[in-house]
Amino acid sequence: MSHRKRIGRGTLATLSGATALSLVLVGCSDSGSSDGAAPTGGGDLVIGVTSDPDTLFPWKATQFQAVNVLQNIYGTLTELDSDMSVVPGLAEEWETSEDGLSLTFHLRSGVTFQDGSAMDSEDVVFSLESIMAEETAAVAAASLAAVESVEAPDETTVVLELASPDASLPANLASVNMAILSSDDTEEELNSQPNGTGPFTFDNRVSSQSVTLVRNEEFWGYPAALASVEFRVIPDESAIVSALQSGNVQMSVFDDPLVAQTAETGEVTVEATAQLSYHALMLNASRGDLADRNVRLAIQCAIDRQEVLDTAALGEGEVTGPITSPAYRSDPQARPCPERDLGQAEQYLADAGLSEVTINAIVSQGEYATSVNEAQNLQAQLAEAGITLELEVLESGAYVDRWVAGDFDAAVALNGGNPDPHGMYGRYFTSDGNLNPVAGYSSPELDDLFARGRAVEDPDERREIYRQISEHLEENAAWIWLFTSYSYTATTSSVQGFTPMPNGSLRFLRTTALTS
Amino acid sequence: MLRTLIHHPVIRRAVASLATLLGVAVFVFVLLRAIPGDQITAALGTEAAALTPQQRSELEAYYGIDQPLVLQFFSWLGNLLTGNLGYSTRSQESVLDLTLAALPITFELAVLAILLALLIGVPLGMLSASRPDSPRDAAGQLVGLAGLSIPAFLLATTLLSVLASSFGFNPNGKAFVPLFEDPALNLQQMLLPSLVLGFGIAAPIMRTTRTAVLEVRSHDFVRTARAKGVGARRLQVRHVLGNALVPIVTMVGLQFGYLLGGAVVVEQVFSVPGIGRQVLLGIQQKDYALVQSTVLVIAAAFVLVNLLTDLAYRLIDPRVRAA
Amino acid sequence: MTDLARTAPLAVPTTRRAGRLRAVLRSPSGVIGLVLVVLLAVAGLLSFTGLLPHDPVAQDPPNRLLSPSGDHLFGTDQFGRDVFSRVAAGVGNSVLISVVAVALATVVGTVGGLVSGFFRGFADTAIGGLTNVLFAFPPLLLALALASVFDRNWFTIAVAIAVVYAPIFVRVTRGPVLSLREIEYVKAATSTGQGRIAILLRHVLPNIGSIVIVQVTLSLSWAVLTEASLSFLGLGAPPPAPSLGSMIFEARTLVEIAPWTMIAPGVTVVLLVVGLNLLGDGLRDALDPRNRGGRAR
Repeated sequence: MSHRKRIGRGTLATLSGATALSLVLVGCSDSGSSDGAAPTGGGDLVIGVTSDPDTLFPWKATQFQAVNVLQNIYGTLTELDSDMSVVPGLAEEWETSEDGLSLTFHLRSGVTFQDGSAMDSEDVVFSLESIMAEETAAVAAASLAAVESVEAPDETTVVLELASPDASLPANLASVNMAILSSDDTEEELNSQPNGTGPFTFDNRVSSQSVTLVRNEEFWGYPAALASVEFRVIPDESAIVSALQSGNVQMSVFDDPLVAQTAETGEVTVEATAQLSYHALMLNASRGDLADRNVRLAIQCAIDRQEVLDTAALGEGEVTGPITSPAYRSDPQARPCPERDLGQAEQYLADAGLSEVTINAIVSQGEYATSVNEAQNLQAQLAEAGITLELEVLESGAYVDRWVAGDFDAAVALNGGNPDPHGMYGRYFTSDGNLNPVAGYSSPELDDLFARGRAVEDPDERREIYRQISEHLEENAAWIWLFTSYSYTATTSSVQGFTPMPNGSLRFLRTTALTS
Repeated sequence: MLRTLIHHPVIRRAVASLATLLGVAVFVFVLLRAIPGDQITAALGTEAAALTPQQRSELEAYYGIDQPLVLQFFSWLGNLLTGNLGYSTRSQESVLDLTLAALPITFELAVLAILLALLIGVPLGMLSASRPDSPRDAAGQLVGLAGLSIPAFLLATTLLSVLASSFGFNPNGKAFVPLFEDPALNLQQMLLPSLVLGFGIAAPIMRTTRTAVLEVRSHDFVRTARAKGVGARRLQVRHVLGNALVPIVTMVGLQFGYLLGGAVVVEQVFSVPGIGRQVLLGIQQKDYALVQSTVLVIAAAFVLVNLLTDLAYRLIDPRVRAA
Repeated sequence: MTDLARTAPLAVPTTRRAGRLRAVLRSPSGVIGLVLVVLLAVAGLLSFTGLLPHDPVAQDPPNRLLSPSGDHLFGTDQFGRDVFSRVAAGVGNSVLISVVAVALATVVGTVGGLVSGFFRGFADTAIGGLTNVLFAFPPLLLALALASVFDRNWFTIAVAIAVVYAPIFVRVTRGPVLSLREIEYVKAATSTGQGRIAILLRHVLPNIGSIVIVQVTLSLSWAVLTEASLSFLGLGAPPPAPSLGSMIFEARTLVEIAPWTMIAPGVTVVLLVVGLNLLGDGLRDALDPRNRGGRAR
């Protein structure tokens, strides 16, 4: 029930006005480190969550709750700011060599782990090498695929030698799955006693009840204002709302706009933030009729995305193209049939030499709330174009099994986004990407474009390459990209200085304060 | 000698109980593994697709699911016999510790619920039985019917949201405290959940009381007592209730055993970290060791409660004692 | 949520077939129960005939969260779906699942009880052992785990519930069968060389009928509650199939802005269970000689 339950059950239009503005409100952008106005106050913040972390080991954490907790305990070489740009973390600065094959990080000096030991280049080398080692089974191993070696010429310098240039590395290193651990620690130890360099220190955990963090006085940046943060497990979302209203909990993040709206009374305010994750109908271009580009394009043309959004999520979201990261965002109008065109869909089917097509789609129940409604609406729309979408509604474990095995014609999916477009789609749409069997589509042009996107540093040049990738994906209807939705941060009026992020991160707890 | 020992009712009962528990062990083991997905996909979700074969086998070894099923089963069982209930893959804590924390909470909840149910059910049942088929009886029966028919989850969510939004009363929004840490707050937190559960159980207790009282009253010794001029109140309490106690105790035992695993919905809604929620969470997370051992503990408690009910039965009912 | 499961009537009743229904109709509670159940069942049946005022799954976003009116008797939900039609369809699904579940449990459990009590020996030990195991398993958690095993649809939910309730039927029937086995005319039939199956069908089964019938009506109300609880925990029949439990679950977030989305399914599920309970009481009073005795005095 908990895993990646990111999106709500439906929505009320009343909230949508506020959403677009939320990104503008970003205040201090320098990771809250030195020059941002320090919030005064302090206090003990209680955040209501529906489930507790499923692991405390950062290299294996993918569950939303786990990532949120660990991110505040551990430090990474780079970090992401509220606009998803890469900012310094444990590395103060970094530079890429001329040929792009060597990346040098200059570490902050004087950083200590929470157990008091010093963090230096040796720990970075240990961490990155361990993440790359297969036996660690770290989830981010593939992001370091281009790395050939990690060297530490001195205590504050780390050099990554690459087999091929990889411009997405700095952004990828910002993930908590790339956390820098002390070379003295083991996974077993960290599972019970996390030891990081982040703004908060692990205090204690009561299994399935709460996780409590306290301010890390030795944090390299500006120490957090809050004395402590408790993630309190309240399994039932409407019980969290009750707890917010009675003031027992001061903050919570909801996916469901209806829940958010119920919460928004009296002392509680709600802020909507556009998310990087995206809803899509994944097509498996390696199977049956879907191998024919014309069939996929027919599906592309037969779908009115706004209608899917309106019916399944009550309009709470934005129609999207493939890339959702603000800096590289695809233009949702730049696609074949930006508006629904049944005549064109019919034409494509005729080009494919087919009059009717039947596609089997897997749909998860419980993974996220809008899935079944999306599927139903897609089914209804496609039926009008002579395409039968057979829905197979699966319990989330069964859905994940099928998804992981790539065992589907089509999948109604909510996939996580990534600030870097290569990090987002390189693994899906390059012929040797580790998720390519699931994505079901690749082409030599795409391989070439992805390789170039990775090699180029210049932002404008990169943007152009990813525009082309986006265009290629849409023109071949690799998948049908539908929409992105919002997350809703509910806070009581005593909470000050928190900035929600498009990836749902709670990074700005470090700048948050409670007023009494 | 040995033969008579084997056939001694208590020994037979104990052996049968052990066999039942073994059956539960096999059943829960197989059932869990029949649920689609494993610990890896439960932990990583769709990210599991990105694992290389070697990473996957490392994880399988980590979770111990690379072993043959039979071996997994017997190593679990062997550990159980040494008092090791295994470790939760989710929280890394020992299942024994988790259970020792959760079981008393559900136990307390069950005791409070039963107490409330007795407080509501027994007087109501006696009231109903005091004049069968009267308006008084109908009213009593109606309350019982409501308890029987209103789903716990409906009552629970309604109470929680109405009390929190209208009166700001929401002790369950605070961090849960064990009974001995802060009894006042703990009892506040237990109030609504035990009320919801107690209301549900009051119905069968009320009905049992009513039927038992009606039946006992028809017996000769009550008529004799009445003829001898025993006062009405004394008659009601000493003779009638005393003798109606057997079915009531049986019912309480049944309900208590049931509550140990049956409070899950209420625990979920009121965020009470009891044993039912522990299992529910474990099932969702494919936390095999946690679910297996916890279910076995619940089953053992259930069997034990049944055994105790039997004993209580023998103590209360002279006829059974004689037999 | 309460589990009366383990209280088995132990009497071996001798029943008069004639006048059973009349006996039920004589008690006011039986009549009320019958009326409630029939009314709700008819509403539920409508959902299978397509005669409902609106399609229970068709979404109509512009008309979402309308308060009750002539067109939408119980208003609309957050997707603009007609709550009345959804409640009716929910009752239909609920009744369908419960009836199938109880039917399965009755057949399997009664056969188990018959075999166990009549043939004794190994069959008795095996069936008894299995029953004990299932009893020791927390019922809702058992249904929950079973419901997670298979692709979820109304039938697998029914099977999951049936597994939970079948052991009750074993318990309830085994005792009476044991005593019947020792009754003279059954012994006589055995000595005249009638086949054991024939004896079972001709002499034993008819005599446990009333116990089974009473148990069936009681089990139906539990099955409705169990199904609703499973749906509430997100393990009922998958959406968009309407279910009273999942409607209540979804309505919790709406209760302040659109209370009808909660009240309609909530009241309906209570009425359905009340009806089944009253009907069960009526039947029990009519069929169980002990109770009749209790009442008479």
